Order: sequence, then C-alpha cells, then structure tokens
Amino acid sequence: MSGEVISLLLSFQPDSPEFKSKREYDIQARRFAHDIANLSPQHFARGADTSQDILEICNPAVNTIAYIFPLQYRIAAAGGTFQSPKHVSDQLKPGGALWNKAVNFLENADPIQLRYVGAEWRKLCTYIEQVARFTGTPALAISPIRSGMLRLDPTSGTFTSVHLQFIRICVETRSYAAANPILDNYIHSLPGSIPQVVRESLEFSVPASDKLTNSGEFIHAKSGHSDKISLPDLQEYYLLGSHAYIGQRQWAKAMRLLEHILVTPVVTGVGNGLMLEAYKKWVLVTCLVHGTAKPLPRTTNTSAFKGIKAASKAYDALADAFADLSNLPKLRAQINAGRDTWAEDGNLGLVNQLAENQYRFYVARLSRTFSAIPVSKIAAALDGTVQNLTTYLEGLIANGDLNASLEQTNRPELGVVLRFYPDPTKGPLAKTEKQQLQALLAQTERTNLLAEQVKSADYRLSLTKEYIEHIKRVNKKATQGGGGGDAMDMQFEEPLEEDLMQ
Amino acid sequence: MAANSIDQSPFFQGKRSRAEIVVKDPPKFDLESYVSNYDGRTRIHRLHHIGSCSPFLALEAYRTAITEAKKGKNIKLYLSLVEDFAKISPSDPLAVTDSAWVDKKKRDVKEEQDKLEHELKAYKNNLIKESIRMGHEDLGHFFYATGNFADAQKAYMRMREHCTSSKHIADMGLRVTLATIAQQSWLQVHSGLVKIDASQLKGEDKAKLEPIVSAVTGLAHMALGSFRDAATSFIHTSPAYLNVEPAAGIAWQREALSGNDVAVYGGLCALASMDRVELQQMVLSNTDFRNFLELEPHIRRAITLFCNSKYSACLEVLESYRNDYLLDVYLSSRVSEIYNNIRTKSIVQYFIPFSCVTLDEMADKFQPTGDYASIETELEDMINAGVLDARIDLVDRLLICPSTDPRFEVHSNALEMAESYDQTLRLRLSRINMLSAGFAVPAEKGSKMDAFMGGGMGDGGVLRNLGSKLGLS
Repeated sequence: MSGEVISLLLSFQPDSPEFKSKREYDIQARRFAHDIANLSPQHFARGADTSQDILEICNPAVNTIAYIFPLQYRIAAAGGTFQSPKHVSDQLKPGGALWNKAVNFLENADPIQLRYVGAEWRKLCTYIEQVARFTGTPALAISPIRSGMLRLDPTSGTFTSVHLQFIRICVETRSYAAANPILDNYIHSLPGSIPQVVRESLEFSVPASDKLTNSGEFIHAKSGHSDKISLPDLQEYYLLGSHAYIGQRQWAKAMRLLEHILVTPVVTGVGNGLMLEAYKKWVLVTCLVHGTAKPLPRTTNTSAFKGIKAASKAYDALADAFADLSNLPKLRAQINAGRDTWAEDGNLGLVNQLAENQYRFYVARLSRTFSAIPVSKIAAALDGTVQNLTTYLEGLIANGDLNASLEQTNRPELGVVLRFYPDPTKGPLAKTEKQQLQALLAQTERTNLLAEQVKSADYRLSLTKEYIEHIKRVNKKATQGGGGGDAMDMQFEEPLEEDLMQ
Repeated sequence: MAANSIDQSPFFQGKRSRAEIVVKDPPKFDLESYVSNYDGRTRIHRLHHIGSCSPFLALEAYRTAITEAKKGKNIKLYLSLVEDFAKISPSDPLAVTDSAWVDKKKRDVKEEQDKLEHELKAYKNNLIKESIRMGHEDLGHFFYATGNFADAQKAYMRMREHCTSSKHIADMGLRVTLATIAQQSWLQVHSGLVKIDASQLKGEDKAKLEPIVSAVTGLAHMALGSFRDAATSFIHTSPAYLNVEPAAGIAWQREALSGNDVAVYGGLCALASMDRVELQQMVLSNTDFRNFLELEPHIRRAITLFCNSKYSACLEVLESYRNDYLLDVYLSSRVSEIYNNIRTKSIVQYFIPFSCVTLDEMADKFQPTGDYASIETELEDMINAGVLDARIDLVDRLLICPSTDPRFEVHSNALEMAESYDQTLRLRLSRINMLSAGFAVPAEKGSKMDAFMGGGMGDGGVLRNLGSKLGLS
C-alpha cells in the first residue's frame, strides 16, 4: 500500500518528456493535485521517521505538489489544532526536524508547481507563523515566509493575505529591515478574477506557462494563494510598511508607500480612518524628505481630502513651522503645544524627528548661500555650542546628507570651518559621470518593468466581464450602421449635459 | 539754533517715534522755485509734505502753505496745517487758528453748496442734458476745491449719463482721475486712465490727451510699486507733455506732475527695473524721453554711469539726491524700495563678469546704506531671495560664482523627473487596480476602521490591537 502511494506521489515528474505542451502539463498538474488531495491522510503518516518516509523520498524542489500535502498533514498532526503551546511537538518547534523540512520546502519548492497548490502553500505559511507564535518567537517566522513569498513570485508584487501576515509580524517584532526585500517591491497587481477558459485551456496563459510575465496572472482570486482580501487589508499593509520604513528612517520610501493609501478611490464622503492616519504621517514624512509640505499626489480624490485636511490642521501647521527656517523656535513651540495630539495619534516619535531634522534643512539652505562658513557663526545663529554643532555636522556629512567637509583653520578667530561643495561633481558626495549613467540605466530598467506591469494590468482588465460587455455594446452600435453614429454621439453629449445641470 | 528747536519739536519727535520719514539734511532744491512749478491743490499738498518731512524747510513751507490755504475753500486742510504748525513753531503768528476766517468760510461754503445743488435741481427739472452735465461739473469743482474728493469724484461720475460727445466723456474721465489722484487711490486712477485711453476720441483731441494719459499712468504704476510698467509708461510719454494745453480745464504739468517729475520718476523706475542693454536702447537712445532727461541732467548721468558699469558712481549720484526725492510727495514712500532695487541690480550686474570677488572689494564698491549691518548680510539676503547667483566664502572673505556643470544638471534633472513620473504612474496603476478589484471607500463610513485608529507608530514601534486580530484562519 505504502509503495503504491509513493509511486503515485512520484508519478508526476515536471521534467517528463511526456509534456509536449504547457497545456498538457497544466491538465496533468491539476489532476495530480486533485488526486493527492483526495488521498486519505493516513497514507502520509506511514513510514514516518524511517527511511521510507515520504518526506525523505520526495524532493521538495522536484515533487513540490507531492511534497506539500504530506508535509501539511504532518504539521497538523504535530501541532494539533494549535489550541495551546503545549500541543506543539518538539519536532515542529523552530529547529526541529519538521520545522526544518517546512522551511526547506518554502525555500526550494518548484515555483511552477507552487502555482497549483496555492491554498496549501498559504496554509503552510500560516502554520509557520502560528508555530513561531506559540513558541514565543514570532520573529523566526519572518525569514521562511519571506523566502516562500519570493520563491512563488520573485517580484512579490501581487498582493496576498500572506503579505499582510508577513508585515504584521515584522512590525510587531520590530524587525523592520527584514521586511525590506518584500516592501521594496511595488504592489503592481491585486488578485483578481481570471476567466476559467483563460486559466485552463490556453497554451500561453495556463499557470504553468513560462510566458506569464506577471504574477497577477497566476495569483488570482481562485488560485488560493491569498485569502479573500479587502481594502482595509491593503491599506493596512501599506501603513504598516511605512512604519517599517520610518523605523529605519527611510523617509522617502515611507512617503511613497503612504501615497498609495492617499490615492484610494472614494465613492463619496471623506475616506476612511486609515487614510486620515496615512495623511498625517504623510505630511510629516514629506517634510522630512523635502523640507516642506508638498501638494497631494495628483491621483487623490480632492473632495475626500477636504474632510481629512480639516481633521489634521495641526499637522499642516506643523509642516509650515518646519519649513520656516528663519524662525526655528516656532517649530519647537508648535511641537510642545500639540504634544498631546501627537502622542494620541502615535506620531510623537515622528514629530520629534522633525525637530531633529530641521537643522539638516537649515544647513542645506546655508549651502545654497555660502561656500564656506565658520561653525561658530552657525552655532551663534542656532543658539548652540560649537562642540555640539561640529558633532552634528560630522554626522550629517558621514550620513551623506551634506556635500561638505569640516576643516580646521589656523586662524583662531575662525576655528572649525564648514566648507560646502557647490559643484556637484566635487566633494565627498561627488558622483562621477559613470555613476550618473548607471543611475539613469537603472531607472530606465525600472520604467520598462513598470510599463510591462501596466500592460499586464491592461490585459487583465480586458478579461473582465465589464470590459467584455462594454465591447459588446460598442460592437452592437457599430453594426447598427448609420444609427450607430448617432448613438455614439449621444454618449458624448450626455455627460456634458449632466455637468451643466449641476 | 532755530533749526534745532524745530527738529526737536513735538511734531517731528512724534514722527520719529512712529518711524515715519524725517529728512535731516537740507535738500538741493530751492523751495520757492520748486513750488512755483505747481498750481492748485498739488501745490499746497507738496508744501505740506515737505513741511512735515523736512525740519529744515518746515517753517517756510508751512507758512507758504497756510497763506495759500487761506485763499482757498479747503477748511479741513487749513485746520490740519495750523494744527501741525502749532506743534512745530507755536510762537509763529500763523500757527494760531484764525477762527473768524474759518467761521466765515464755513458759512460761505454751505451757501455755495446750497446754491449749486439748487441750480442742479432746476437744471434737472428743465431736462436739458448739457445744463445738467454742467451742474454736476460745477458741483464737482466745488467739492474738489473744498477738499471733499470722494464727493467730487461722485459728482463727476454723475456727469457720465449726460455727456453728449466723446470729448465730454474724456473730460469727465480726466476730472475723475484728478479727484482719484487726490485721494491717492491708485487702482482707481489706473482703471480711469484705461477708460480714457479706450475712449473714442479721434485725431488731434486724442493726440493731445495721449501724453497726459501716459504720464499719469506711469505715476499710478509707480505708486502701486510696479516699476517696470511705470518706466515703460514714462519713457513713452511724448515731449508734448511739457507744454500741452490744459485738458478738461486742468494744466496737468502744473496740477499733477511736472516734466521734471516725469524725468525723475521715469529715470528712477527704469534704473530700478531694466538691465543695461534696455536702459541704453529704451531710455538713453529714446528721443522722446531725452527731452525730459535734459531737465534733470543728474538722472541722465546716473543712467549713463549705470550703462557704463560704473555702479558705485551711479549710486553715489543717486544717493546725493535721496533727500530731494524723500521730499517728493509721490516718490517719498517708494524711494528706499527703488534705491534698493537699483543697488541690488548694480551688485548683480557688477558680479556677472567675475568668478570671484573679495567681500572687502564689494563693500568698497558698494558703500553700505545702513539697511544692513554689513555687505555679507546684504549679499546673503540677495542670494536667499534668489536675486544673486553666488556663494559667500566667509573664511577667505570671497564672493564666489558657483561653477555649473550643465551635463551633470541635465542628468540629475532627468533622474529626478523620471522618478517622480515613475511614482505618479505607480500610484495611478495602484488606483486602477483598486478600482478593478472593487476597492473603494463606501459612501458610509466603515466602523471597522476604528480598531486601527489607535494604530501604532514606527519609531516607538508600539503596535496595539494587532495581536488580537491574528487568529486561526
């Protein structure tokens, strides 16, 4: 019996020459996954901890589909129902044999086969997370889940519920840097619905096809990789992601992530609480990036933001005070005046960053006026000591925030001198032409990638019912002959009239 | 001794404490000959301004002004002149209010007003347009003479519907303009002039009005602070202005601004707003304006010096006339602004050919005016305002022209732009994705969100309420 199971499990070989087309592969893979799912779980338990163990015989990188079912069964058995930590057996605890197998699977599974066992894959990620939580070390789940996500989809750009689980653990355990490999990737797709005919019977669009350039085409509503997601889930992901960046002081990245929340479509009314939260943080972070407040991204819903802005006036005032470099005490006063507000919103740390960073912009402004200035002069303007300021400036220069250097002069009345480099090709931050070129090339690549993602999104939109119905209507009108023209005209006129009515 | 006591009089003390203009040094001009250029309201107005600004000329100016005022019907003006003068020189016989004259004038004025209003009523009953128009005009003249400029303006405006020819309309417009100048409401002056300019006068009539309109337009622009427009208007004023016939019964070059004023105002505004090439082509080589400049040779000299890049000499010339201009009724509030503009421009122009100048050299070339503590602060402000493209080296005391690398700049700009477009596109795609997934904040506020409102923050890293949301799925 055991032998039969094993031969069944090994019957699907992805490299088998039998698969002349991706379509055939697809049919086989689906049938195979279905068959295994229907096997009685007892089969998987046989031979455990012996050389005949299914998990020893199958190779996760080759027999991915065959491997994931028994693996899951074992974890469930070892961890019981996750009622309490006591139920987790040693084998499953981080470092145990079963844990290692699961981690190994997530890291090495065959990405193509993973596309056919989405639900199981997601369950595996959840198991890992739960085990880590029950053993009191949630941070240990970060690395395996991250590997799993990148293994399935190297761009990690299709949003899944696993993304949200992942970022929650990262922020909870303050492992901000660990989140970067996922956060740095732009969410270019949301799992949508893809018609069955496209999913299952077209040579170039079955999940197994290597022509799929976009993960949104194999991670969709029916693929099981993601639980059902909603708007707050997505917004929460962005917000928590921005927390992670803020925790690493990567203001620009945090700002860009927050902007994704600001562009949320709003039917009517004022948007939701997450947008308010995001806006407040966005105002602060924008200041830290640009030194002043910036207009909202163009894609935002302006009427919704009237309400949001009205509710966050304190933040806008703070941004004004921040930008006012000729009146530095104003910001301090504003911060103290609103201390309760910031604390209540959980933004106190970020607000304190404003106070710290304002000097950075002050010095940056000096660099546009002076080419060299004694530190004592700046210190006098800022009411600080030369000693402190020198240390601060050294920090700025070391961080690459300032293209300048500190020099000790032999004239005692000048003391230490801050020398700026107005020419961007000179000084410690100088960029060579070659570096510039590389930056440009990298940007070109990013843009091209983005263009691909847009194309893919466009393609998926063209598969939706709404679009097809629209096309039908258009075609119908076109075939009605002379009358068609009139009907088309009507379409253009109607909205115009509505505008006039308003 | 006498001059000193005037300087220390309560009147000037008060002005100083309010930080208003007080000109300490004697001006270059002779009061009598200066005032003899003007007639009518502006004469007393100018005397009043000079008297109230210059302790040196106060006695003479107030005496003349009070004597003149007594000849007219403007009781308010007389009273305010006497009030001021009493604070300057209480012992002077003219500093005592002549109440007999005031009472008599009050009665006269009342009578005249009643008479004129009565007449106007009669005209209105007769329904003769021309008479009604003249009735309004007389009333306007009367109000103007009594110093009630707002009512004068209203009376003149009422002439509009009874005007029968375009000449009438133009005359009315000029009258209104004079009344608005007296009120110093320059926006109205400007809009009135635009209307006159657009009137349907033809041929000779039009040619007669043009110099007046352009000179007064210049004045309005200057008073509003748009020096470039003012300069353009002034320098295009035809020399015919100098001896143009009175229009609408007003000799403009005597009752508003003289040819000398056009030269000074025009020259200064041009200096404050034009670069060297423009000054050469549009001002010095301008045959029309040359006639004016001949009246004020030092302005011409200043412009020539500026064109020849002798900025410090130019500023010196102007500086020596600063007091005169502070005593000019229209220029006084704009002098420092105009001078600062010229100074700033000189510094910018001076620095263009250099890559590096020592600060001491700059301070030497451009003597500090007292507005700034040192040349560094002045330069610093100019750089911060974006007027001067340079960097200050406080260590070696140099003003340095920043070297530019256009190639590098283009690359940097391209990168920056690409990044911002990138992000814009990403946001758009995000939004489209959300729309296509049916994600939009519904019309009613979701109560679900409240759980997150207490959310955490990055630096503190405190994330409340999240653990409880993680359960078995």
